[in-house]
Amino acid sequence: MSDHDLSRPRSLDAGLAALPREVAPSRDLWAGIEAELLRAERRPRRWPLALAAGVVLAALGAVVGARLAQQTAPAPTVAAATPAAAALVPARLKLAEDADYLATRSALERTYRERIALLAPVTRARIEEDLVLIQRAHQDIQQALGREPGSRVLLQLLQSTTEQEISLYSTVGRNTEPLASRTRT
Amino acid sequence: MQAAAVAEVVEFPDAGALEAFEDARAVEAAARGDRRAFERLYRRHVGRVHALCLRLSGHRETAEDCVQEAFVNAWRALPTFQARSRFSTWLHRIAVNTVLSRHRGLAARLESTAGDDPAVLDRRTVEDAPPLDLEAAIAALPDGARHVLVLAGVYGFSHDEVSTELGIAVGTSKAQLHRARQLLAARLGLTAEGP
Repeated sequence: MSDHDLSRPRSLDAGLAALPREVAPSRDLWAGIEAELLRAERRPRRWPLALAAGVVLAALGAVVGARLAQQTAPAPTVAAATPAAAALVPARLKLAEDADYLATRSALERTYRERIALLAPVTRARIEEDLVLIQRAHQDIQQALGREPGSRVLLQLLQSTTEQEISLYSTVGRNTEPLASRTRT
Repeated sequence: MQAAAVAEVVEFPDAGALEAFEDARAVEAAARGDRRAFERLYRRHVGRVHALCLRLSGHRETAEDCVQEAFVNAWRALPTFQARSRFSTWLHRIAVNTVLSRHRGLAARLESTAGDDPAVLDRRTVEDAPPLDLEAAIAALPDGARHVLVLAGVYGFSHDEVSTELGIAVGTSKAQLHRARQLLAARLGLTAEGP
């Protein structure tokens, strides 16, 4: 396979350590890679919903957050996470099976369900669409993980959608607090 | 400011730090869709990625296909790249997954005795005779033993990491590494030191 020839090293460890870190391919592969990148730009990506969800959430803070702020009294910045939300961001996806995590997540979701009705119909519709997008992406990634269980990329994407869903719940809950207070009084 | 210009005024502790800096800038540009920046990353890393794919797959054509696929996968996944980790490490993980995805049912083969049958190795080595260098001897190992040896023995993955990457038990990883070392040592007439 390689032209590299080891002249009978003393031990196997010495031989393994002496293996070259780099082996050039027999031809330049860049042209084929670039052609595939160009083709990929013209067709849907492998996990379109996951990536789309990332884009949506990146814009969520700026657009939806601004809309929420307009409807409510001065609110904390969208980027600032509540302690509850911060505690929810799972360092590892194993946390998703933790009872405390599930209970806190359930509470945030319940608050979201209660408060979403307080928002203007247009804002509410957009946020609900975003949530559906995230949840579909989450399901797509889970299915892909079923086919490639060891994929770090998919695990990162799965963690990302989990965090995005929690972020959406907490953002809506936090920014609708003034509206909720008014309805209580 | 270009990375090269920065490198002239900033003293990097070693070549690795400079490479990491240049990678970070190229990754940032590539994530915005700059294919030329991604090509720089390709030029810088293709040798190491190809070496990894070649040793894992044991076949030159398969390795080159995997290199192409790994870089395409990396391009698609760039938005998910976490800057706190090294690009080279992340890229190598993608390359490993790319090679292994071509070995569907790998875990079943690793757990079975078929892949470990000494007759399989004997037949391969006979076909590959006369005696080969270390690279060729690694390529002639059964798939399971070769994958573990390359990841743990050559690239320094822990057995936990190998277990995750290959979808096998840690104990299986250790056993496969031991077996791979024994087979290689016997084949090459070396002493099989180490774990």
